[in-house]
Amino acid sequence: MTDPSTPTPEGRSVIHDLGYRPYTGTRMPPATIARALVVTGFRNAFGLGRSGRSKILPFVLLALNLLPAVIVGGVAAFASLDELPIGYAEYASTTQVLLGIFVASQAPVLFSRDLRHGTIALYLARPLRSGAYALARWASLLAATLVFLVLPIVILYAVALLIELDVSDQTREAAKALGLAVLLALSLAGIAGLIASWSTRRGFAVVATIALLVIANGVVTVIQGISSESSGSTRVGEVAGLFSPYSLYRGLIGAWAGADTPTPPSSTGMELAYVAVFVGLSAACLVALVARYRREATS
Amino acid sequence: MNRTLFRLSVQAVAGRRRGLVLLVVPVALLVLALVVKGLADGDTGLDATVGLGFSLALPLVALLASTAVLGPEVDDGSIVYLLSKPVSRHVIAVSKYAAAWLTTMLLGALPLGVVALVLDASEPGRAAALGVGGAVAGTVYSALFLGLAALTRHAVVIGLLYTLFWEGVLGSVLSGIRYLSVGAWGREVAHALSPLVGTADVGTVFAVVAALVVTLGSVWFTGDRLRSFTLRGDE
Repeated sequence: MTDPSTPTPEGRSVIHDLGYRPYTGTRMPPATIARALVVTGFRNAFGLGRSGRSKILPFVLLALNLLPAVIVGGVAAFASLDELPIGYAEYASTTQVLLGIFVASQAPVLFSRDLRHGTIALYLARPLRSGAYALARWASLLAATLVFLVLPIVILYAVALLIELDVSDQTREAAKALGLAVLLALSLAGIAGLIASWSTRRGFAVVATIALLVIANGVVTVIQGISSESSGSTRVGEVAGLFSPYSLYRGLIGAWAGADTPTPPSSTGMELAYVAVFVGLSAACLVALVARYRREATS
Repeated sequence: MNRTLFRLSVQAVAGRRRGLVLLVVPVALLVLALVVKGLADGDTGLDATVGLGFSLALPLVALLASTAVLGPEVDDGSIVYLLSKPVSRHVIAVSKYAAAWLTTMLLGALPLGVVALVLDASEPGRAAALGVGGAVAGTVYSALFLGLAALTRHAVVIGLLYTLFWEGVLGSVLSGIRYLSVGAWGREVAHALSPLVGTADVGTVFAVVAALVVTLGSVWFTGDRLRSFTLRGDE
């Protein structure tokens, strides 16, 4: 036991040192703080640990997102189909509206509130670096998005196994869908987090994120639809697909998971470009996010 | 209608970043129109572009504008200073609605007509019909979303669910939803003015009456909600 009358050693005090009896227990490393922050953020994204009213929205969205999977599974079971009516990877593309609204509405919960109410100063006064704080928040949003994306795949996969479809086929398709889900979640979490940390007005951040995701996707869809009809210009559609996360996802499931989509990337180089843009977009958002919080910490 | 309130509401809509995002939507639509013009000729491009404007750009602009005139004030609690003024709450609602409506007309409905003109200048009648149809839908959308903003803090998300999920995803599967879809009423009015616009098949009379009822009802409801307003804390 250390003597409580000895002052805190130089450099050990964190914020206030009023000369009272210091804390002498073990101090957790920043990694522990970050982990706690990630877990709390993940729970908060679904409204757990917050008021009952804030649980309604994420769970209603989650339920709406899972409903088609349950229905499709039920139909496949009762009509004894020999394949699932919808592909694992196609599912997220069908319910992309709900996914977008979920990410856009829960990103401000994680990113805007601390900035708007000034509580960010309390976090940044702790040993955790501003960059680590940004990464922890982003990881929470990413995890929540992944839950949203992966649960339907799990339900469909479970149904597929229970009605005894070919295990190796189904596993391969489900694994592909999981990989694509990670790519989509990375980019969505990055974009939504970045916008929510820029605009701390909740409603505004939600509409700005949705406008960006949905309008970009709508514009790309129109261009792809037109270019797939005129035979000479499918190349235009392929390139246009690079400009929105949803169309990147759609292009990749068209190329890899055999989904029926207009103008999927037709060459290996184009597929690589799709993946590169996907990853690059996510990385750029993450770097901007870290920079945003570093500026907050130094200002 | 109160001039000062109207002016303040317009500032809230057009101010800073919100005004920028509001501008981005019609600009994106116009850019798309130019790209489509380069890619293909004929009606497919026009239908797709105008469809995007009707089902996405217009409701998004209306949602941004309507929630901007009420949402932030409710969020930070400064609405109590407005409500404590000796002005009828219904007048407050109508003034705020006027600001949201004007924005929706300029940045949501007008671009629809312009896009149609850009893509096919030989049919000014169709462009005008699309503009009027967009104006009808925009009038209803902005009233509906203003009512939502007065009702709940989650107005934005509920509005998005209505336009994207109810009208968009469910509307394409369950065709009966067209009777409860603001966008379909607008398209029906446009079809009545110019047969070149595809019909939404809900009946012109029904579309006009439904639009009127929802608009007047929503604006009255907003005033009524403001009359008995309780401020809740942040969640």
